[in-house]
Amino acid sequence: MHKLSTIVAVAVSSVLMSACGAAGGAEDPSTSPPSKGASGDTLIVYTNSNADGRAEWLHDEAAKAGFAIEVVGQGGGDTTNKIMAERGNPVADVVFGLNHMYFSTLVAGDALEPYEPSWSGDVDADLADPSGDGNFWPLVQQGIVLAYNAEVFSPEEAPQNWTDLWNDERFDGRYESVEGLGGATTQLIFAGILDDYKDPEGDLGISDEGWAQIEGYFEHGSTVVPEKDLYLRIAEGEVDMGQMFTSGIPSRETEFGVDSEIMRPEHGIPFAVEQIAVVKGTDQAERAHEFIDWFGSAETQTAWSAEFDSMPVNKGAIANADPAIVKFHEELKQQEIDWSFAAEHIASWIEKVELEYVP
Amino acid sequence: MSRTPVRTMVRSPFVLVVGVILTWFVAAFLVWPNANLLIETFFPGGKFSGRAVEKLTSSDRAMKSLFNSFLLAVTLAITTNIVGVFIVLVTKYFDIRGARILWFGYATTFIYGGIVLAAGYKFVYGESGIVTGALLGVFPGLDPNWFTGYFAVLTVMTFATTTNHMLFLSSSLAKVDHQTIEAAQNMGAGTFTILFRVVLPMLRPMLFATTILSFLTGLGALSAPQVLGGRDFQTITPMILTFAGSPTSRDLAALLAVVLGVATILMLAIMGKLEKGGTYFSLSRVSTSLARQKITNPLANAVVHGVAYVLFVIYLVPVVLIILYSFVDSRTIQSGTFSIDKMSLANYGRVLGHGASLRPFLVSVVYSAAAAVIVVGGLLFVTRILSKYRNWLTTVFEYLLHIPWILPAAMIALGLIMSYDHPNPLVGTFVLTGTTVILLIAFVVVKIPFTLRLLKASFASVNASLEEAATLMGASSLYTFRRILFPAVLPVAAAVLALNFNSLLDDYDTAVFLAHPLFQPLGLVIKANTDGAASLDARANTFVYTVLLMVITGLTMYLVYGRATATGKRRARLRVPVPVSLPADEATS
Repeated sequence: MHKLSTIVAVAVSSVLMSACGAAGGAEDPSTSPPSKGASGDTLIVYTNSNADGRAEWLHDEAAKAGFAIEVVGQGGGDTTNKIMAERGNPVADVVFGLNHMYFSTLVAGDALEPYEPSWSGDVDADLADPSGDGNFWPLVQQGIVLAYNAEVFSPEEAPQNWTDLWNDERFDGRYESVEGLGGATTQLIFAGILDDYKDPEGDLGISDEGWAQIEGYFEHGSTVVPEKDLYLRIAEGEVDMGQMFTSGIPSRETEFGVDSEIMRPEHGIPFAVEQIAVVKGTDQAERAHEFIDWFGSAETQTAWSAEFDSMPVNKGAIANADPAIVKFHEELKQQEIDWSFAAEHIASWIEKVELEYVP
Repeated sequence: MSRTPVRTMVRSPFVLVVGVILTWFVAAFLVWPNANLLIETFFPGGKFSGRAVEKLTSSDRAMKSLFNSFLLAVTLAITTNIVGVFIVLVTKYFDIRGARILWFGYATTFIYGGIVLAAGYKFVYGESGIVTGALLGVFPGLDPNWFTGYFAVLTVMTFATTTNHMLFLSSSLAKVDHQTIEAAQNMGAGTFTILFRVVLPMLRPMLFATTILSFLTGLGALSAPQVLGGRDFQTITPMILTFAGSPTSRDLAALLAVVLGVATILMLAIMGKLEKGGTYFSLSRVSTSLARQKITNPLANAVVHGVAYVLFVIYLVPVVLIILYSFVDSRTIQSGTFSIDKMSLANYGRVLGHGASLRPFLVSVVYSAAAAVIVVGGLLFVTRILSKYRNWLTTVFEYLLHIPWILPAAMIALGLIMSYDHPNPLVGTFVLTGTTVILLIAFVVVKIPFTLRLLKASFASVNASLEEAATLMGASSLYTFRRILFPAVLPVAAAVLALNFNSLLDDYDTAVFLAHPLFQPLGLVIKANTDGAASLDARANTFVYTVLLMVITGLTMYLVYGRATATGKRRARLRVPVPVSLPADEATS
């Protein structure tokens, strides 16, 4: 009797414990085949461009065009890291929305499969993969700018260059500075600033003068307040300016009642160009190609732009887009930045800034 | 509790089977993936790289943040215990008017935390907060930003992390034998002598556990320093998370995490030594349940009442504000200018409006519930063995089970991907990445140390004489476990289950790497809808999700803990009769 109950105890406990491991998926509605994570015919699309209804819109429109897709959305850095981590057994079929710096990281990590979409002739080749191998292709562009309160500064009084912010006393403490280089917008701005201070002899390819600029940026800025929008801080008079992406300006001006203008440096401003690519190792390459052909087409990009106020890259879509948006972007001068240099060093720059300059 | 040789221990089939499964699980999911990640990190290309040590020691900011984290950990372990013990005593031990109402106020920490909690306190004490406004009226010279830095962070975190006291210390207190208190009273001891000399010493196992947990919470502080720390008080966790995200800086993250991990292990070792030194259960043979104590000194009574109600207000106000703010637009939330006429249901409509919005809730509930049940169920057996047998083998396992405390969740997820994106003999040649199982495994793994600590403390406070009596009467080990030990640790197990469930509901760090594309949990959706850079509605969405989570977690706490409290009387009745009600056939077989 005693023995028997012990045996029962053993059996029960082993069943309970084994649930921790291999059989753990039993509680889930489905346990998919372990070989390939994605399910059947559904295309798995990774993106950071999923907020404000974009994911739902894309899912529905793709379904109408005959594509069953599942959108997996998270920030640009997380999406990049996730694709890099999954290289051994890729889950995603297509990735889009990340800027060219993130895509360059993916190319360097051999995580993408080159493909030339049917619309490749309709986009500005300068905005696509700088290597010329056609690893990724542009969809949407926007300027990364310094926005300032037009009631405080006239265009002449306003800073003319990022470096004016910390080298001119008038702007001391009046601009919002970030806490680190983690964000995509910030990375593009720093890539633009540091591009002027390239020095093969310098630390991480940047001259001492360049690093002095970074020090100045953090020393003279007003640190970003968590949970508080830049435009609210401008409206309340805490600061007069800060970094912004062009598509975010109109809605914020309305929301916070701020009349803002953007800084127009002589050498131009960095552009964030959102790209699309096939993930290496997809088992649905053909469907992925068809999806990219559809999504980047003039027709789909026109609809996307109309829905989400973005500035398309496809010439056919530009022709149909909101003239105000097109005019605004065409007036912006794009800064020439050595992107392959920036992409190569950005990770070590982030680290150095985090360790040495962030207050 | 005496030392048992390993040879004797493994003679029990129960130990043997649990041991084999435990060994496999620890090897496959705790040791191998994390060792893999650390080796890859510190020995890139097979050669040791001391880069991380050099980089970090030469960074003033890293050293200062590390110091701040330790400062916070040590002080928080003290302050949380003071506040935690106080609120447990006023709700469960002293005879205080309105103790039940007070309990609900203090229990608000069960249902919310993180960035929203910090934001909630900022609404009250921040530059445009209510209290700051009132203070400025009295002291016009006050700096509106008075509530920032170390003091603010410590204050908020002290109040925010008393959950463990409320749940587990209360449960231990309920087991204190009233007869010991009566005996002390008969010998002429006063209210506070009894408290400090009789009652608190009996709570030591659980106080050790809560001290370790508070220390760990302070060490890993993230959102409170970010929101309230200002330039002068930043902690190390934000830096760890930044570096963990970048493949080339991961060695820095790993090194920092290991430093914190070693500190935690040291803390565990010290507490373990202290824990061995005492006897924690009542020596009387028949225990009677605790009766509330009157505070005889009228002045002391008034002071305790006053402090209890002040704390009640401190606890309650941020929650009320968060609920109110969830009904107003982002701009109002950010500027802190609340008024009734700005309230509407628009935020809730936006978050819950489309058809698919309930699915992530369901996915998260299933994952969190499955993980919580597995981890608590499995560890009940494991903890039982670890607390019954003391030898080098159980000590090794106990430390191995704490591995998930050493590394941040994101790195545990990366280790799992790295180790199981190809067939591996440890898991029977299955490829785990891209399946629904891998997130469940990660959820179970990250909850092991917390569960183990509390279950162990709970087992330690079970009156050993009951078990001895059962064994002497011939009850089998499973029968003893099921009828004696299990009921005794059930309240704690249930509370741990609920807390694990609640904390996994909005997990982002592991899900972002491991979630199956077709079964995306809530954390990913929340993040997408509350990321400030993306949208102006982000702030308002954060509050809506927080309130929705409060509803779910509040419901969970009620189902699990509310009912456990309600059955407190039954438990008290059970505790005594169980040993005598052994069925004759079992007892004599």
